[in-house]
Amino acid sequence: METYKNNRQLVLHFLKGSKRFFALSLTFATLVSLFDMISPKIISFTVDSVIGDKAPEVPRIAELLIERLGGIGALKAHPLFIACAVAAIGALAALSRFLFRTMNARGAETFVCTMREELFSHIMYLPYAWHEKNSTGDIIQRCTSDVQTIKRFVSEQMVQLIRTIIMITMAIIFMAGIHPRVFLGSAVFIPVIIGYSLVFHSKIGGAFEKVDAEEGRLSAIVQENLTGVRVVRAFGREMYERERFEKQNTYYTGFWIHLMQLMSAYWASADVLTGLQVLTVIALGSYACINGTMTAGGFIAMTSYNIMLMWPVRQLGRVISEMSKAGISIERLRYIMNSEKEADRPDAKEPPMDRDIVFDHVSFVYPGGSGEVLHDVSFTVPAGKTIGILGGTGSGKSTLMGLLTRLYELPPEDGKITVGGVDIADIKAAYLRKNIGIVLQEPYLFSRTLSENIGIADDADMKAIRRAARAASIDDAITSFTAGYDTFVGERGVTLSGGQKQRTAIAQMLVRHSPVMIFDDSLSAVDAETDMKIRAALPETTGSATVILIAHRITTLMNADNIIVLDKGRIRESGTHEELLKMNGLYRRIYDLQTAGMEEGE
Amino acid sequence: MKEEEKNIKLPFYGIPRLFPYIKPYRGRMVVMVLLGAATSAIDAAYPLFNRYALDHFIGEQTLNGIVIFIMAYVALLIGQAVMNYVSAFACGKLEMTVNKDLRNAAFNHLQTLSFSYYNQNSVGYIHARVMSDTGLIGESVSWRLMNIVWSGSYVLGVLIVMLFIDIRLAACILVLVPAAVLLMMYFQKKILKYNRLIREINSKITGSYNEGITGAKSIKVLGIEEKMKTDFKAETREMKKTSVREAHVSALFISTVTMLSSVTLAIVLWQGGQLTLANAMRIGTLSVFMSYALEMLDPIQGIIETLAGLAAIQVNIERLTRLLTEKSDVADSEEVIAKYGDMFEPKKENWEELYGDVEFRDVSFRYPDGDEYVLEHFNLKVPQGTNIAIVGETGAGKSTLVNLVCRFFEPTKGQVLIDGRDVRERSQLWLHSNIGYVLQSPHLFSGTIRENLRYGRPDATDEEIMEALRLVSAEQVLLKMDKGLDSEVGEGGSQLSTGEKQLISFARAILADPRILVLDEATSSIDTVTEKAIQNAIDTVIRGRTSFVIAHRLSTIVDADVILVVKDGRIISRGTHAELMKEKGYYYELYTRQYEELLWGEG
Repeated sequence: METYKNNRQLVLHFLKGSKRFFALSLTFATLVSLFDMISPKIISFTVDSVIGDKAPEVPRIAELLIERLGGIGALKAHPLFIACAVAAIGALAALSRFLFRTMNARGAETFVCTMREELFSHIMYLPYAWHEKNSTGDIIQRCTSDVQTIKRFVSEQMVQLIRTIIMITMAIIFMAGIHPRVFLGSAVFIPVIIGYSLVFHSKIGGAFEKVDAEEGRLSAIVQENLTGVRVVRAFGREMYERERFEKQNTYYTGFWIHLMQLMSAYWASADVLTGLQVLTVIALGSYACINGTMTAGGFIAMTSYNIMLMWPVRQLGRVISEMSKAGISIERLRYIMNSEKEADRPDAKEPPMDRDIVFDHVSFVYPGGSGEVLHDVSFTVPAGKTIGILGGTGSGKSTLMGLLTRLYELPPEDGKITVGGVDIADIKAAYLRKNIGIVLQEPYLFSRTLSENIGIADDADMKAIRRAARAASIDDAITSFTAGYDTFVGERGVTLSGGQKQRTAIAQMLVRHSPVMIFDDSLSAVDAETDMKIRAALPETTGSATVILIAHRITTLMNADNIIVLDKGRIRESGTHEELLKMNGLYRRIYDLQTAGMEEGE
Repeated sequence: MKEEEKNIKLPFYGIPRLFPYIKPYRGRMVVMVLLGAATSAIDAAYPLFNRYALDHFIGEQTLNGIVIFIMAYVALLIGQAVMNYVSAFACGKLEMTVNKDLRNAAFNHLQTLSFSYYNQNSVGYIHARVMSDTGLIGESVSWRLMNIVWSGSYVLGVLIVMLFIDIRLAACILVLVPAAVLLMMYFQKKILKYNRLIREINSKITGSYNEGITGAKSIKVLGIEEKMKTDFKAETREMKKTSVREAHVSALFISTVTMLSSVTLAIVLWQGGQLTLANAMRIGTLSVFMSYALEMLDPIQGIIETLAGLAAIQVNIERLTRLLTEKSDVADSEEVIAKYGDMFEPKKENWEELYGDVEFRDVSFRYPDGDEYVLEHFNLKVPQGTNIAIVGETGAGKSTLVNLVCRFFEPTKGQVLIDGRDVRERSQLWLHSNIGYVLQSPHLFSGTIRENLRYGRPDATDEEIMEALRLVSAEQVLLKMDKGLDSEVGEGGSQLSTGEKQLISFARAILADPRILVLDEATSSIDTVTEKAIQNAIDTVIRGRTSFVIAHRLSTIVDADVILVVKDGRIISRGTHAELMKEKGYYYELYTRQYEELLWGEG
């Protein structure tokens, strides 16, 4: 797998496809600066040679153009020509500006699009253990706000940095061209202004982190108060909460006010600095004009360039100090991109799956966990047969299925699971899961319509979807919704009851016609009557598939060809329903308990 | 989020609703506005220095008066800097103070609202009102206002200078302004529309990440990684397309505005050039107009942007003021407040002792957001010291009775009596000060263990605290913490395990020495040692107290004086354990299921 050794590598990787847009955008940015520099030149020429009588000093092209128009005299008679030139240069500048911005946006959006897609697809293929280890909120944060930070870093801060450098260079060329010494007099301010802003912004950066932390604390108080409203009320501690909140609120606000004071002081003092620079240009310029080393037009051009330069120079310190923050965000994405994806062995196979499934001395400890969840479990699920696994909470029954579908990898020294004699570790994971249909204990519905949810695994057609829904006894419920199969479910849709969710998940599994089907406690939230109906329909819908039924309710699995009683990760008993009843063990006691309630209770 | 809220329109952008919160800072605002306006007006005056330099020093080839010129310039700079500092700081302070006041007001008001408000609004929604709406509103009344002042006074200053120095040229520029304003408004509207669209797609993308991560298990077993990827790709492509389109519009906008500036400059050069050639105008004046031509559109654009921003903030003003004016449907009457005090100023001297008799008298109840009665003509006497167990499945509505006893809700009809008097005759705080509450998912507050334990009784001594911990055998929790009672528990008690949090919350309830105890037992599986400790804690805590236990543990159920069986929100039977078992009904079923869980792992 590709790993990214440093932040630069990762950013360059994400930049594939967007580099050319950024290159174009910077080219146009250069043109913008260039055209922006030309108007003051025209004005300077107008003041000196059209309004004044100085011999024009213009480039060859302009000279030719003036001759075509009829010489300086014609310009004096018709200043409209000059206005047209200014407007034309303005139009060119506007066009370049438009192209610069659109190219930059294309670059930025392509870049961010690549980042999002790469992250998402990487996350899709990370092992399930990774998902369990990392918190959802944190990963989403990385994929959203860190992505934005990096986007700003590349498409705004970097670009602005380069633009400012281009602009300063041009201004140096143009200003020094007019009068080197006046320029030098004003140029001494540039490093001072940049330095001042850089020092201020990097100093205040720490204060901003502090104020963020304080805001987090205040926000946490509100959050705790809201989620703990029952406790607050029941203990009558509203007053205490109020004091706690007001104290932190005042502290946080005070901190901000202090920051505001610093920033106001910075702005005002930076204004003085830039003002002094402008004054220097005016004073030195006036002196040069009286000296005869500079013209009035040159003076006007010089002051215009100076103003153009001021803003980007003032921003530079802030931009540079903000850029340093991007490193942390890139680091956070690198963590995701460097996490190892699920990988098949190089010679992974796709063997037939309608074979015996054998659990061979399987023991298991969850990664990072301490206790054994499974201990030396061995049993066989004969092809085409139905097997039941009965177990209480924490018996390890779901873990067995997690191992069979390779959501968790079984270390080789802890036993093995085979299908038709092939170790599942040697089978392609995607192939394995495609052929093992499983209804999870806590089914997850996607924010889509019901029909899309049921048919999600292999784009089944409507007929197949309805057939599966009927077998799962959910068809009636679905058709009773106004939008029927087009009803939107999930986070932003209709909320289904636990039983409805389970039945939808069953339909979702049945539609796939996998050779192996697993029901992981998937009828627990369904009432007894529906449970019976689904069970009755099962043999027909599952056909020749190998079926594993996991349940805590005996009625769900009593008809299985073989039943395994799993307790605390060990097999306690096994056999058919009748055999198990005869054993008079745990199975029998549970059966008695469950049936006693049924017979007389309902 | 409801769609119609987005397009809300209030008179004057809803600002008048905020007057009560701004009023205390009138003085500061006047200073801020006046000095801010002066600062910008000075900005408008700077080109006049250029003019003087051009026409006087350069035009007349003399350095006469340059010292005064420099001194005046520096003096103006410094004067402006001081005013700028004072007004910007005043503005920042105003923003933060208004934020603070609004947050306090919202938070304090929330403390008085009843549970029906909390049931109808999600924590996230309320949290956003307190933490983010307040910030946006504070920003509006300070910086947005300031922006309008700055830009407005600059434009005004420019206008005055222009009219003074040359009315003909001023007229040439001014005809362009209305066209510019219309153009800007048009673009602004378009951009706002795109931005809304982008936000929508963005939340879809976040939703997809969420689904891709929380649904990982399903995605893997269904083998639909590729499909999820493709669908996600469609969303990001949509986002890219829309964002690029938005960028085109705003790039066109910006280029058009700069183009307009160039056109203005061209007109100034054309008309001004003629005037200057005819010696009707001096070069200095021309240069002033050229500066204005380039710099006047920015502040106009600023004003339009600010107004658009204000329009967008109306929703937040509406939502926050709605929260602030929300009336609680459980409130103490004026007479009660007069005698017993309110939540923040209790009159403890008038509080009677609470003995512990509870009675439901012909109570009918319906949740404010529900349309079915969950209790009808319900009668139950609970003499002091009685232990009531409430059993039923998750989500069956077991909390209803508890909600009524705690007066989190009031009966729709009928009465709940405490010591023979209607619960509404005395203050909520009085009642709550006598109730101990242990939640199924124990809720601790960030702070030290001591602070958490004292939650129910702020004046408890360390000895009393240790005694309470001993009673529920929770000293073991302290042992693993390095600073004992001073150890921080983290946000929501994150430093502790669920079992440990349970024990601490039992100790907290005991320490409060309540007359009535409400207990929502945990169903979550915890290790056997803690399980045993919790069982002992429950036994200790309920002894001698009137208690309502939402019960899951067999022992609690078996020993209860009265068991209420709840199904689908209603109480379907009541009696002692023996009586209910004899009925062989729903209770029997629930009980055997519990018992069965005990069989597992027995040997």
